[in-house]
Amino acid sequence: MSIYDTEGQDFSRRLVLLGGLQGGLFLVLAGRLQFLQVARSDVYATLAEANRVNISQISAVRGRITDRFGELLAGNDRNLQIRMVPERVANMDATLNDLTRLLKLSRSELHDIRSKIRRQPSFKPIVILEDLSWDEFARLNLNLPYLSGVEPLVGQKRIYPHAQSVAHLVGFVGTKTREDLQRVDDIVGDYVGRSGIERDFERDLRGTPGVRHVEVNAIGRTVRELQSEPGEKGRDLALSIDLDLQNFAAQRLNGHSGSAMVMDIHNGEMVAMVSSPSFDLNKLSRGIEVEEWERLIDHERKPLVNKAMRGLYAPGSTFKMLVALAALEEKLIDPEEKISCSGVYKFAREEFHCWAADGHGPVNMVDALERSCDTYFYDLALRVGIDRIEAMAQRFGFGKLTGINLDGEKSGTVPGRDWKRANYDTGWRTGETIITAIGQGYLLATPLQLAVMTAALANGGKLVKPRITKAGDAVEPVAVLGLKPENMAVVQRGMYRSVNRPDGTAYASSLLIDGARMSGKTGTVQVRRISKDERLNGVIPNSKLDWHLRDHSLFVGYVPHNNPRFAVSVVIEHGGGGAQVAAPIARDIMVQLMNNKAITKAPKLVMQDKPGMNS
Amino acid sequence: MSYQSRSGRMGQLVSIGTLNMPMISMTLILGLIGVMVLYSVAGGDFSPWAWRHATRLALGLILMYVIANLDLRTIFNFAYPIYAGIFILLIAVEIFGDTGMGAQRWLDLGFVTLQPSEFMRFALIMALARYYHTLHRDDVSRPTGLLAPIALIGLPALLVFAQPDLGTALMLAISGLGVVFLAGVSMRFFIAGIALAIAAVPVVWNYLFEYQKERVLVFLDPERDPLGAGYHIIQSKIGIGSGGFFGKGLAQGTQSQLKFLPERHTDFVFAIYAEELGFVGSLLLIFLFAVLIFLMFNIASQMRHRFSQLTISGFAFALSIYVIVNLAMVMGLAPVVGVPLPFISYGGTSLLAFMVGLGIILAMERQPMADLPK
Repeated sequence: MSIYDTEGQDFSRRLVLLGGLQGGLFLVLAGRLQFLQVARSDVYATLAEANRVNISQISAVRGRITDRFGELLAGNDRNLQIRMVPERVANMDATLNDLTRLLKLSRSELHDIRSKIRRQPSFKPIVILEDLSWDEFARLNLNLPYLSGVEPLVGQKRIYPHAQSVAHLVGFVGTKTREDLQRVDDIVGDYVGRSGIERDFERDLRGTPGVRHVEVNAIGRTVRELQSEPGEKGRDLALSIDLDLQNFAAQRLNGHSGSAMVMDIHNGEMVAMVSSPSFDLNKLSRGIEVEEWERLIDHERKPLVNKAMRGLYAPGSTFKMLVALAALEEKLIDPEEKISCSGVYKFAREEFHCWAADGHGPVNMVDALERSCDTYFYDLALRVGIDRIEAMAQRFGFGKLTGINLDGEKSGTVPGRDWKRANYDTGWRTGETIITAIGQGYLLATPLQLAVMTAALANGGKLVKPRITKAGDAVEPVAVLGLKPENMAVVQRGMYRSVNRPDGTAYASSLLIDGARMSGKTGTVQVRRISKDERLNGVIPNSKLDWHLRDHSLFVGYVPHNNPRFAVSVVIEHGGGGAQVAAPIARDIMVQLMNNKAITKAPKLVMQDKPGMNS
Repeated sequence: MSYQSRSGRMGQLVSIGTLNMPMISMTLILGLIGVMVLYSVAGGDFSPWAWRHATRLALGLILMYVIANLDLRTIFNFAYPIYAGIFILLIAVEIFGDTGMGAQRWLDLGFVTLQPSEFMRFALIMALARYYHTLHRDDVSRPTGLLAPIALIGLPALLVFAQPDLGTALMLAISGLGVVFLAGVSMRFFIAGIALAIAAVPVVWNYLFEYQKERVLVFLDPERDPLGAGYHIIQSKIGIGSGGFFGKGLAQGTQSQLKFLPERHTDFVFAIYAEELGFVGSLLLIFLFAVLIFLMFNIASQMRHRFSQLTISGFAFALSIYVIVNLAMVMGLAPVVGVPLPFISYGGTSLLAFMVGLGIILAMERQPMADLPK
C-alpha cells in the first residue's frame, strides 16, 4: 500500500500542477474575451457594421432643361434595359443564345455583351442591353423564369427633342467614367454632363442622389435593404432661349458655317444663340462610333464648336462705330465734317483701298457709317490714334470675356502698342492703325462680343453681361460706359441709315413691322490679301473663290430702331459680303422675333418714335 | 469481484443512476449548447447541422452508456489492441483516404466516414496509461522507460502530420505528453524536451507545407492577407468583439448570418456563439468546460488504479487542450490549426470520440476496485 500512497501523492501533485496550468490558460482566455467583448467592443461593432452595410447611391432624376417658355430642350425618358448578374447565370452560353433568339441580337451586339461581361466582376450587375422596345421588353419578361441571373430594369435616359438647334447650348451627357466615380458606386446607366449647359450646370441638374443602405453578405450580394433615403430631383433649368426663334435661326443658318444670336440689350438674356453646322445631341449622349466622332472633330466647318462664343473673327466694318465714338468723345472731329473718298487712301508709301473702288465722294460721319466708307475711317484713324481706339474697344468689352454663364467662350484680341511689343517685339506702325479702324488686322472678337457691343450701342452705353438662363428678377449689374448721348445718337443714326436708306449697305435687309425698323451695320472681312494685279484687273468675286478664301460676312443690329430692345449678331464664315449674306439672315431672324406673340407682348417693347432719331 | 457490488449481476446493465450524473449533465448541456449554436448558425434552422448534431449527441449518449457498462478489465485488456487497430486505420487513411479540406483525414467505410485521428487520441492515452500501469515506478524516469511512450506518441503523430494535419498531430502529441507528465516522468526530461522542441522549430519549419507556414505567418500578422488566410482571424475577432457584453441574440449575429465567417459551424463556431451571446454567454461556456474538466480531474484523483488515474486525467487534459487551443485560435491568440471545439463544433467523429472517452471514464469510476493485473 505504501507504493500506492507515494504514487498517489506524486500523481496528485502532477494533477494539481497540470490543473493549475489549465486554469491559468482559461483565465487568459477569459481575459482575452474581456478585451475583445468589453474593452474593444465598440471597435469591433463598428467593423461588423462596415462589413454588413453597403452604402450605395441612388441617382436622382436629372433636372429638365427648357426654353424660356417651358418648351422641353432636355428631358428624361424611360429606358428599358436588361441587367445581368453574371455569377447568377446558370449557363452563360445558353442564356445568351436565348437572349439572341428572343431579341434578335446581331453578332456585333452579342460580341459587345460578351466583352461587357468579361470586363466586370461577376457579382456586379451590368446593363447588357438598353433602349429596348416595349415588345422586346415584354417578350423578355415573359421568358424571365428561364433566364436566371437576367433581370429587366426600367432606367432613365436623356432625350433631346431638338437635338440639333440647341446642341451647342444644351450640350450632351455621357455615362460616368471611372474618373467620375469618386467611390465605388454600383448604379448603372448613370450619366454626367459632358458639354454645354449639361456640364456647366451639372450640380443643379443632377440633384441630390439618394442613399441606399443594403445589407450584404461576405461576397457582396445584397441580402436586404435596410433603409433608403430617396434622392432629391435635379433642378429644372429654364434657358433664356426662345425655342421658336432658335429653331428658325438654326434653319436659316442651314448650309452656312457661322453663328447668329439675339440678345436682350437690357438684361443680357440670349433669346437665340445658334452655331452652324450642328450635331445630334441624342447621338452623342448615347455614345457614337469612333469614326463618327473623328469625323465631327476633323470636319472643316467644326460642327462641335460653338462659334457664337468660341469663333474669333476680325469684326470688320462693324467696328467702325467704336472708332467713330472714340473720335467723337475726344472731340477730334465734327460729325458733320466731310472727308472725301476717292476709293484709294494713300498714307506713307502705302495705298489703302475703300471697298467701293470708285469712292464715295465727300462723306460725313453718318454717311460714312451708312455707306460703310473705309476712306473716312482711314482718315479718322490717323486723327484718333491706336491708343484711343484700343481703349474704346476695351470699354466695349473686346479682348475680355463677356462673362456669359456658359463655359468656353474666348476673349479675342485688342491690339495696341504694348500688345504689339509683347507679342511681336516690334513697335506699332501707323498703317496698322488704319486697318484696325476698319476692323481688320490683329483685331479679333467673338460674335458674342459683337452682340454685347451692339447692345451697348443700342441701350445708351451700358455694357450688359450676357446670360443663357432666364434673368428672372436678378438682372446682372451692368457697366455704364459714360458716353455722351449726343455722340451715341450720331452712331445710332448711322446704323439706322445703313439699313433703312437706299444708299445704306444693308438697305436690302430693311424691315418695317408696326412702325419698328432695324438699325445695324454690315461687315465684310477679308481673309486673303488682294494683290495689286487683282486690283487692276478687277477683284475676284467671292463666288469664284475657294470657300476658305471667301470673305467673312458679318452683321450686327438692333430692333426697334427707336426704342431698342434686342441686339442681333450674325457672322457667316466665308459667306461673302456682309450685306449679301449676314444682313438678310439677321433681318429674317428679327422679323421672326418681332412677330413672336410672346416676346412682343413683353412690356419692354413699346413702339414709339423718339424725336430726332429718324432724320 | 468487487465491481459487482455496484453493477449488480454480471451481464445485467448498470442503472443509470449509479453513474456520475454531474459529468453526464455537463456533457449533455455542452452538447445541447452545440445544437443551439448550430441551429442559430443556420439562420434559425435545424437543418443542415443542428438536427444531425442532436442525433449524434443522442447516439453518443447511448454509446457512452454502453461503454460505461464495460468491464474495466476488458478495457484494460483492449488498450493495446485498440491502439494497434486505430494505428492500422491511420495507415489505411494514408493509403486510401479521401481528401477533405486539403488533408487526408477521412476513411470512408461505406456507411460512415471516420477520422481515425480523432479516436487515436483516446487510444493513445489508454495505451500510455496501460503502459505506465505496469511499469515499475523506478523505471518511469529511466531513458529505457521512455522509449516505448516516445514510440507510442511519435508514430501516430508522424502519420497524422503526414496526412497532412499539423493541428491534430500536435494535439495528439501534447495529449500523450500530458499522460507522460502525469505518470511522473522526471521534470528534467520535460525541460530538456521543451528546449529541444524550440531548437527544432527552424528544422520543422522547412518541412511544413506552404499553407501551414502561411497560417503561422498570418497568425503573427493577420493583416498580411486580410482577404485570404488572415480573413478567418480578422472576421472571427470582429464577430466576437462586436458581440459586446450581452451579445446580439440568437440567430442575430451579422457576422455569421451574412456568412462573413468561414467554417462557422465547425472550427469557428465559438465566434458565432460569442457574437450572439456576448461576454456573459462566453464566460459561461468557458466556465462549463472548466467545471467538466474539474469533475474529470476530481474523478481521476479518487481512482486507485494507475490505469484509471492516467486515462481519466489524460482524457481531461486532452479535452482542456482542445478547448484552450480552439478558443485561443478563434480569439486570435493562436494560429489557425483546424481544431474543433469539443461538443459544440459540428462534426460526428469529434463528438463521438469525446463521448466514447467519457463512457470509458464512467466505466472506470464505476469500478474503482477492479482487479487489474499489475
